[in-house]
Amino acid sequence: MSVVRVFCLLLALGPAWASAESRFPQPQFDSGHVVPQAAHPPSSLEHVPPLADTLALVLALAVAALLVHRVRSRRWLLVFTAGCLLWFGFLKRGCVCPVGVVQNVAEAVWAGGGLAWPVAALFALPLLAALLGGRLFCAAVCPLGAVQELVIIRPLRVPRALDAVLRLVPLAVLAFGTVLAVNGAGYWICRTDPFVGLFRCSAPLPMLLAGMAVVLLGMVVARPYCRYFCPYGVLLEVCARLAWRRVEITGSTCVNCRLCVGVCPVGAVAAPREALNEAARSRQFGHFLRILAVMPLLVAGGAGAGWLAGAALARAHPQVALAARLAAQGPATAAEAEAEGPAEAEAAPEIQAFRRSGRDRAEVASLSAALVLSFRRGSAWAGACIGLVVALRLLGLTRLSALSVHEADRVRCVACGRCFPACPKNRRPTA
Amino acid sequence: MEQGDRRMTRRAAAAWLLRAGTGALVAALAGRAASRPAPGRGVWQIDPRKCIQCGRCETECVLQPSAVKCVHGYAMCGYCKLCFGYFLPDAARLDEAAENQTCPTGAIRRKFIEDPYFEYSIEEGLCTGCGLCVKGCTNFGNGSLYLQVRHDRCVNCNACRIAEACPAQAFTRVSAASPYLLKETLS
Ligand code: SF4
Ligand code: SF4
Ligand code: SF4
Ligand code: SF4
Ligand code: SF4
Repeated sequence: MSVVRVFCLLLALGPAWASAESRFPQPQFDSGHVVPQAAHPPSSLEHVPPLADTLALVLALAVAALLVHRVRSRRWLLVFTAGCLLWFGFLKRGCVCPVGVVQNVAEAVWAGGGLAWPVAALFALPLLAALLGGRLFCAAVCPLGAVQELVIIRPLRVPRALDAVLRLVPLAVLAFGTVLAVNGAGYWICRTDPFVGLFRCSAPLPMLLAGMAVVLLGMVVARPYCRYFCPYGVLLEVCARLAWRRVEITGSTCVNCRLCVGVCPVGAVAAPREALNEAARSRQFGHFLRILAVMPLLVAGGAGAGWLAGAALARAHPQVALAARLAAQGPATAAEAEAEGPAEAEAAPEIQAFRRSGRDRAEVASLSAALVLSFRRGSAWAGACIGLVVALRLLGLTRLSALSVHEADRVRCVACGRCFPACPKNRRPTA
Repeated sequence: MEQGDRRMTRRAAAAWLLRAGTGALVAALAGRAASRPAPGRGVWQIDPRKCIQCGRCETECVLQPSAVKCVHGYAMCGYCKLCFGYFLPDAARLDEAAENQTCPTGAIRRKFIEDPYFEYSIEEGLCTGCGLCVKGCTNFGNGSLYLQVRHDRCVNCNACRIAEACPAQAFTRVSAASPYLLKETLS
């Protein structure tokens, strides 16, 4: 047996075990040695005035608005996208960004606690910009969007039905991500951000692989994260639907040449549709009424499913997980508690930390029960919201109005500007 | 024609109403979130009194190598010849040979001061934040070695990944002006 081990044993048995600190008092040095002080580098955060960040975002949104609505140049938009990617992505390291801030805002509003105003502004500004000029944030400013924008090579057309189903994902991410954040189970929207590792130039392997996969996918399916995952996109879509100025494909009048349809990577160009005849109109109206009738069912169904899913969702919370672990261990008798000592090293870290904290099992169990209930309530609301949006989307399909020209769909158009140079009416007549 | 125009204005007015309503909702959400007191954004830090050295600080950080490193609170150190942070429990000899050391990367420097005292310091560039030395020092020594988020490295994630994975809930947000929880100054 080594010297050290004997010493450890003696120590463990001796009274020194009781007092954790200063088992070995610091010596007085005869040589006059001075005890050094470790240096602790300051936080670089101090040097970044938050006002400047907010102003940078305002400026970027304004420039994007100018490029999309006034200059109407794909080339300049592309240059600006690259610039924003450099600044908001690589220099600001892509964190904190509006996509994730959804969680901070939800947590501050529903769970209490405050939020620094520049962070709240990060949430509000792109949405307000969308109310005025469409998805300007997605056009160039969002670093996540920019990465995907720049890797598009040969975008495939996603079949309408598949698209409709996949477009439910962002909705679910937003709804359940909010529930998780509000109930203190962590920021899952941040955890599923595929590109932030790229901006930090460092990431654990799974994150890196996921990011690479999204980039590869993005070469053939334009903006896969934006269209089929981004929770903030859902909010931007709502605002863009009400936008004061929509993205205009053509600067003059559409001649229905269809040239813009092919270039739009996200399938956002709405083709003209005939006015419906009387029979079709009444059929459409019938659909409308039927969907309206099942709307309460969809909402109630969503709420019910949410309630059921709530318990599973709650397992993401550390305290609920701890309670489950403790329950799996079985009831602890005094003798077992005694025997827990030597098993210390083998126990899961959560259990070790629990033992050290001196809390008792009943406390954890009741906390966990309260949390599960709160998760159930939250995800019932989330489910109801999803049901409502699904119903509204279905209602939107029963459109009666005719459309005589090609135009950019307010919701899907990310204002990338690809259709500007494609439209023959936008080309300046050569003298 | 007249009628059509009036219909258009009415539609435009309704659209502006909706737009303004949504805008107000967005502003209200952001305003409500920001209206509660929040002392700046703060930065992440480990409370060394809560940490149980589970090893996740090394593996869970979004940065590789981790932004968490071991720091030495010299004021608490006993300058032991037999350092429980430095030497493995089954070390054959008390010398600097790698097989006797706790630290897998050899990040701890051991310097002779005077008989029988040695000074230990951390070479931060080598430390991976695994906490093995911290465990030894905390369990058997004075606990002068402990883990801290180093703010020259940490990118201050919106949600620290380690904080979410920490089994002991040892992470907290602290003010950016004094971003460390130094064990030697904590009670
Ligand atoms: S949809 Fe989301 S990820 Fe894509 S550009 Fe817009 S905000 Fe960014
Ligand atoms: S600006 Fe909008 S409609 Fe035009 S190509 Fe881009 S996404 Fe499609
Ligand atoms: S994750 Fe928590 S308990 Fe584990 S080493 Fe880090 S601070 Fe300590
Ligand atoms: S043992 Fe781990 S925590 Fe301690 S100095 Fe070495 S690498 Fe750092
Ligand atoms: S905030 Fe991010 S970089 Fe800093 S320690 Fe946590 S995970 Fe690592």
